[in-house]
Amino acid sequence: MSTKHSKAAARFIENRKQEAWHDETLWMVRAKRDKMSHSLPEWERLRELASDIKLYSNSHLDTLLEEFERNATANGAIVHWAKDAAEHNAIVDEILQQHKAHTLIKSKSMLTEECGMNDYLFGKGYDIIESDLGERILQWMKLHPSHIVMPAIHIKRQEVGEMMERVLGTEKGNSDPTYLTHAVRKNMREKFLTADVAMTGANFAVASTGEIVVCTNEGNADMGTSFPKVHIATFGMEKIVPDRESLGVFTRLLARSGTGQPITSYTSHYCRPKEGGEFHIIIVDNGRSDILARPDHIRTLNCIRCGECMNTCPVYRRSGGYSYTYFIPGPIGINLGMLKDPVKYSDNVSACSLCLSCSNVCPVKIDLGEQIYRWRQDLDKIGKASTEKKIMSGGMKFLMERPKLFNTALKFAPVVNKMPRFMIYNSLNAWGKGRELPAFAKQSFNEMWKSNKIK
Amino acid sequence: MKIGLFIPCYINAVYPEVGVASYKLLKSLGLDVDYPLDQTCCGQPMANAGFEHESAGLALRMEELFRSYDYVVGPSASCVAFVKENHPGILEKAGHVCMNSKKIYDICEFLHDIVKVKELKAEFPHKVSIHNSCHGVRELHLSSPSERNIPYFSKLRDLLSLVKGIEIFEPKRIDECCGFGGMFAVEEPEVSVCMGQDKVKDHMNTGAEYITGADSSCLMHMEGVIKRDNLPIKTIHIVEILASGL
Amino acid sequence: MSSKNDILSAIRRHTGKRYEMPELTLDAIAYEDKVARFADSLKAAGGQAVLMQPGDDINEIIRQHFPDATRIASNLPGIACATFNPDDLDDPRELDNTDLAVVEGHFGVAENGAVWITRQVKHKALYFISNSLVMLIDRNSIVNNMHEAYKRTENMTYDFGAFISGPSKTADIEQALVLGAHGPVGVLVILK
Repeated sequence: MSTKHSKAAARFIENRKQEAWHDETLWMVRAKRDKMSHSLPEWERLRELASDIKLYSNSHLDTLLEEFERNATANGAIVHWAKDAAEHNAIVDEILQQHKAHTLIKSKSMLTEECGMNDYLFGKGYDIIESDLGERILQWMKLHPSHIVMPAIHIKRQEVGEMMERVLGTEKGNSDPTYLTHAVRKNMREKFLTADVAMTGANFAVASTGEIVVCTNEGNADMGTSFPKVHIATFGMEKIVPDRESLGVFTRLLARSGTGQPITSYTSHYCRPKEGGEFHIIIVDNGRSDILARPDHIRTLNCIRCGECMNTCPVYRRSGGYSYTYFIPGPIGINLGMLKDPVKYSDNVSACSLCLSCSNVCPVKIDLGEQIYRWRQDLDKIGKASTEKKIMSGGMKFLMERPKLFNTALKFAPVVNKMPRFMIYNSLNAWGKGRELPAFAKQSFNEMWKSNKIK
Repeated sequence: MKIGLFIPCYINAVYPEVGVASYKLLKSLGLDVDYPLDQTCCGQPMANAGFEHESAGLALRMEELFRSYDYVVGPSASCVAFVKENHPGILEKAGHVCMNSKKIYDICEFLHDIVKVKELKAEFPHKVSIHNSCHGVRELHLSSPSERNIPYFSKLRDLLSLVKGIEIFEPKRIDECCGFGGMFAVEEPEVSVCMGQDKVKDHMNTGAEYITGADSSCLMHMEGVIKRDNLPIKTIHIVEILASGL
Repeated sequence: MSSKNDILSAIRRHTGKRYEMPELTLDAIAYEDKVARFADSLKAAGGQAVLMQPGDDINEIIRQHFPDATRIASNLPGIACATFNPDDLDDPRELDNTDLAVVEGHFGVAENGAVWITRQVKHKALYFISNSLVMLIDRNSIVNNMHEAYKRTENMTYDFGAFISGPSKTADIEQALVLGAHGPVGVLVILK
């Protein structure tokens, strides 16, 4: 019955100390978010507006994307359209070739991760430098993000320190975050100054002005785009918003939800290429237009990638990002993975107790938990339902639909209480891992009622 | 008004005393309560595991059992929420319009909102920590979900406040899941146990002697953890406190 | 071009219900003392605000706050403490090792301590590369929240604009807050 997720989660929990730290740290972010959201009386109204704007924009992608393209082109940007990851990566490759570029400095983007762009470009001989500190650490350690906003949250400072001793020659045994961060700052300064082309994602693309908006705390997107003549910005098409007025809603929700800050340090608006330079914008579909055809799951396109559903998820906090098989973990990742390829990513659907905290925390009101429930109903159809679960469910159905049999079973059930312990708590009994089984009552409520013991 | 008492399967089998307390409590308030015999299950375990279609027969059966009642009242927020939120969709596929969803209440919700009890004879001179269960909070709105920016309320606290001698606490993570979630508990046993242990610890840190709540399923899960780890705290369903002395 | 058509036609084919654009009406938070709130918000973001008093000399304020700064960039008139005009440089890379940049912002936002800047210098790098950043704004320009802020930007055109709230920061190592990830370690906003 175990899934890839449950097995990986079990391994994560084996190190209970690290698991507890991970849980506590992400809960702290959730608590910061609570403080922020409770400081705004209009919070729930903001969520409503954000959700409504996204429902509008995602149901008008055709007109809004064309409007964006018109305005961006008028601003002097060059707009590209990519149907899928391969086309996206090829477009980037071509731009790099045109400029005889070797080094690409980029800010954090879940979209380039989705497209597998870095590996593709490395294969072509380019040097790709991640400039976000967390992403840079992961790049040095040859790892992928375990969280979409705090990509290196699963790594301890000692591990970072040891790695930096090797890579940057930092002091032996020094794992002070300030010391390590400033060592990277020094190292990265030179990279910023010498990169050939800069790349960023986009948190928002504004249809009415043709500008893109990038939010960071480190200022790495801004440093990155400050020196090369060429800037490539890429965004998944659901990042479109109608106008700047809408940004007022989203910029108030994004950082408050994601990190518990009222706004990120930098909310940067890129409108036109720099003098003598080029500004390329890639609009990426890669399966998004297919989601439009699924009314049950269309709200996943509302996502602004704040990551708060991960922070609040009791399962994510205790199982870590790597326990999921899709590159985006947590509640939104479970859903996006299933939309991408339900057969391939069905192992993540077990990672949910249906507590619905994610649905309530989501700043754009995605019904995350409810959608996971719906995905579970589809598993059997795609041949991915667990056989044991199916048998258990079928057995329950059989029993519960036969009240006489059920009542008889309950009559004999107390016998189970007297069974030798080894017969109850063995490897076949997953409940018995860490929990005693409930003891059946000597007489069921139904029997008590029948024998007039209650009235 | 005629009230049909809804006794979910595991209360029937494991916690009949919760059913007894529910009956006595409603009766003591002068209400017309009856128990339609031979109830089994609402179908939630199958549906949460991904076999919603297997609960259609059970949903239909519940419709028949409770057809003649004005209210369906049960001491299990999660089961009530399932009937309320999911039975309509399940029955629609079977060509039936769900009636139970419009008249079903968790017993606390019923006492608080419909009966509007203002006093109880109950006395419980103990420290209790309220377990705000996921479906009680986020589907039935028994209390304000911690994620939302709405004024604090708790129907459970309101009811418990009518009990003499009681001291009421709530855990620090006020409505975090205890890790049961039906088959989740056996499909992801390590995470589920971890959640259960964390939750019990959080309740214990309040200094309470009892964990109490409107969901026997969560209490059953935490009881399993408590017994395995021999922890110095007990579980008790809220109706047993509200009905104490009856 | 064909990808564009393919994508747009897939969108049209798959789009079901077309939702209306909501009216963006809400009672957004407003503050009695916007200046004080701005200062508090900026402090929480790791920056600092100073309110100029009558008779205060702006250059003195800057020097007081950054006594060790030797390479000070500004293209603003009246910033006598500047040691060079960044617009004289052809290459933004030459801005490296700038201790302090003094720039002008359009307005501040009380709810989050952000200052809206549009590129008013030759190289936008200046806003990010110097060790510390001083932004000058009019104290009467502070708006309550981001809704008001974006209203203020309505008729502004720019090639680059940004809301800057405090210094560059990161918490990517164990969620421990560190100022000066890549950009300024310190931000001072002088309210004129």
